[in-house]
Amino acid sequence: MKKKIGITLNGKRTALEVPAHRLLLDLLRDEIGLTGTKEGCGTGDCGACTVLLNGKPVNSCLIFSGELDGADIVTIEGLKIGPELHPVQQAFIQDGGVQCGYCTSGMLMMSKALLDENPDPSDEEIRFAISGNLCRCTGYAKIVKAVQDAAAELRARR
Amino acid sequence: MEELTIVGKPVTRVDAQEKVTGEAVYGYDLVLPDMLYGKVLFSPKAHARIKRINSDIAKKYPGVVAVVTGKDAPWIHGEAIRDKPFLAQDKVRYIGEPVAAVAAVDEDTAQAAARLIEVEYEDLPAYLSPEDACKPGATPIHEDFASYRKMNFILPGAMPNVCEHFKLRTGDVEQGFRESDIVLEERYFVPTIQHAAMEPHSAHAQVDPATGRVTIWVANDAPFRALHEMSEALGLPQEKIRFINPLQGGGFGSKGGLKVEPVAVALAYHTNGRPVRVKFNREETFISTLTRNEAVLYIKSGVKKDGTIRAREMTIYWGGGAYAEKSPTVCIRGSLPGPGPYRIPHVKVDGYAVYTNKPVAGSFRGYGIPKVAWACEQHTDELAKRLGMDPLAFRMKNVFVDGDVSYWGERLHSVGLKETLTKAAEAIEWGKKSPNLRGLKIGKGLACIQKPTRSPTMSKAGVIVNAKGEVAVLAGTVEIGQGCSTILSQVAAEELKVPLEKVRMADLDTDVIPYDASTTSSRSTYHMGNAVRRAAIDAREKIAGIAAPMLEAKREEIAFADGKVWLKNHPEMSLTIGEVIRRKLGSEGKVRGDASYTYELAKDLDLETGHSDNASAFYMYATQAAEVAVDEETGRARVLRMSAAHDVGKAINPLNCMAQIEGGLAMGIGSALHEHLVVDDKGKVRNPSFLDYHLVTALDLPEMIPIIVECAEPEGPYGAKGLGEPGLAPTPAAIGNAVADAIGVRVYDLPLSPERIYWAIQQKKKSQAA
Repeated sequence: MKKKIGITLNGKRTALEVPAHRLLLDLLRDEIGLTGTKEGCGTGDCGACTVLLNGKPVNSCLIFSGELDGADIVTIEGLKIGPELHPVQQAFIQDGGVQCGYCTSGMLMMSKALLDENPDPSDEEIRFAISGNLCRCTGYAKIVKAVQDAAAELRARR
Repeated sequence: MEELTIVGKPVTRVDAQEKVTGEAVYGYDLVLPDMLYGKVLFSPKAHARIKRINSDIAKKYPGVVAVVTGKDAPWIHGEAIRDKPFLAQDKVRYIGEPVAAVAAVDEDTAQAAARLIEVEYEDLPAYLSPEDACKPGATPIHEDFASYRKMNFILPGAMPNVCEHFKLRTGDVEQGFRESDIVLEERYFVPTIQHAAMEPHSAHAQVDPATGRVTIWVANDAPFRALHEMSEALGLPQEKIRFINPLQGGGFGSKGGLKVEPVAVALAYHTNGRPVRVKFNREETFISTLTRNEAVLYIKSGVKKDGTIRAREMTIYWGGGAYAEKSPTVCIRGSLPGPGPYRIPHVKVDGYAVYTNKPVAGSFRGYGIPKVAWACEQHTDELAKRLGMDPLAFRMKNVFVDGDVSYWGERLHSVGLKETLTKAAEAIEWGKKSPNLRGLKIGKGLACIQKPTRSPTMSKAGVIVNAKGEVAVLAGTVEIGQGCSTILSQVAAEELKVPLEKVRMADLDTDVIPYDASTTSSRSTYHMGNAVRRAAIDAREKIAGIAAPMLEAKREEIAFADGKVWLKNHPEMSLTIGEVIRRKLGSEGKVRGDASYTYELAKDLDLETGHSDNASAFYMYATQAAEVAVDEETGRARVLRMSAAHDVGKAINPLNCMAQIEGGLAMGIGSALHEHLVVDDKGKVRNPSFLDYHLVTALDLPEMIPIIVECAEPEGPYGAKGLGEPGLAPTPAAIGNAVADAIGVRVYDLPLSPERIYWAIQQKKKSQAA
């Protein structure tokens, strides 16, 4: 059964007709073609598919498209600020927070959500925030440092 | 040596930009025009004969284009031993073995149809432990093993189900034990774990009906080895097969060989030219791709009162799972240095790679070393304890140093082991006892390793410079997250003296990229680094040859810097590299350099003694040291801080080296404390999800102290060795030693779960009371 929904995706209003049971992750990747959002498990355990739904981080593999009418969705493709990288993207590059990169999109969206709420998170708060985002490559240390550096940069810009 | 401009600098990764923006396209992301979607029916039986398959209903299901079974795909593959069918033939050997596959217009349809395939099985006895599987009288899991094609270094065992028997014989261990003051014998166990790369496995395949050409898109870590294996299996010349490598979201050893490729190819032969995509979900990735070998390790040593080791004997059973995959070579390269990096006159090792009815096991970052280190390094601590020696001092007395001849007969050089021991120990204040907190016992431990690399192997590379002065590096090394694209770009930039931004890695396609053995075994910086360096020098010399007459100079009067060709002593006389090429060859002109690097063995490993003059192109050395706190009431161990000192030869990129060490350490800590792929008594994996298979999270990790030691390898590029694998190899043993130091009793089996530690403490209390 298809359902008509209107969403705001990365700042652009979009009208879609989708099967109501289609998962947001599959909607983004297979139907809209935004493959920056990654699929790591499909069961809400790894965080690779994290996007912002109405400003909050969610596992897009757990959200039905039928629920999305009127929703505001931001994916990794919408994280840049104009043509510039978001400070958290810049910090991940600078500090070596990226290895294979498969968890990176989800990590970045989760980090942005944290920094939107808490401009000066402690090491422990960062670790707690990203504890649902699995990374098999980095050991997290450089990711935590990147989020700290991004926080400092965002505070300096205020 | 000339001063290095970019090698040795902690530059940021060349591939980071596309990864932080989501633009990077991984194998799992790839969409091909007009593609079909494949799903697999997996075996629900650990060991059974297939009596009958009926796929009539599945074939008629609306939207289905092809259904294939073993009859439609009668091909067998395997690198060391050709034993694995594309789809089960006559029998199944583990739960999770592909039995049939469906290609359909979408994934849901393919999945629904796959469930409609009926298979009738007749159960056979299943072996779930390597020791059981090789007992006299055990039923062979592979009845036709004797007729399988095997590589020449394979020595099948005399016992049932042993697909490789590695032997090391040096001196006379019995004499060594007689000469010893203390003899100690122990048994250790390492369970199955899984690679759990964040990107699950997938493959796309297409067969051109007109030409018969097979194209496979897959994030494989060894495209040329995969090409060879596929060509042997299909009986097609290599020119008829092409592998294209999209980006890989981590592999750790699980994405070499052929995993999803056979199913995708089997389907693609029946879709009239339409490409087929087969994506494994997380559960399928856990059960049907690859796992790390479980290992049962018996170790016996004799030591003198003065602290010298006289003899060591090891018997190791490597659980191989249902197919050989890389277990034979894990067995060889893991068992060979199994007795540890120590001077021991009498050594005997028997390593057995054994078929079982469990998911296929094989290569995993560290290639056997984490398992032997778990046994050898804890055993070494126990010996020190019985001698009344400090574990660090005991190791400093016995470890290999430059000039030593190892127990496999090789004279060692560039041994940075002692420096790693000293630095790792210092970093956690070795010797300084931290006070126990209420209910928490604090302990310290360390472990060291020596790791060989796959040898002999070859890497070839091309370096193309265009008339804009831009450089393309053609290398078969796969960017699996380890940072090779940055390292190899740095090497090319260094030799051509161009800015790093001018260099890019060409896409990996076996039709155009020069041969490389594999992106495995921590071999790439050394082998491909040497090949790219030579190819860049070849290109540079060609450019110099063109530039010399333009500058009215001889070759030796020309120097390269900042993307330009200079006349020495006349800095005003210069041309950019791009100008040189354009003037001679036009604006579309290119200069190409090519080179090859091969590390040759003087002679192969002797099958009866395991001896070799040069078993490995180089050796990696590392020591890690842990401080842990153990809660005596719950048995929970927590790592408080952990140092990791790694001899990398030369850090071409220190930032990347630190990242590799930290990542390895995190994986090692997980494998020490909680990772375990649980297989029940029917052979079924009980925890094939991230909910139930516990990977380390950001909250689980202690303070990590990575330390780079540089003991240059003369043959390596700029002195570099390798680093990818050792990061996790000594970790569980170091933590195990720290736990034993904390609670005064040893735990012999991994993982160091609260239950195991709790019961070890209870056992100790009981024996103290008695």
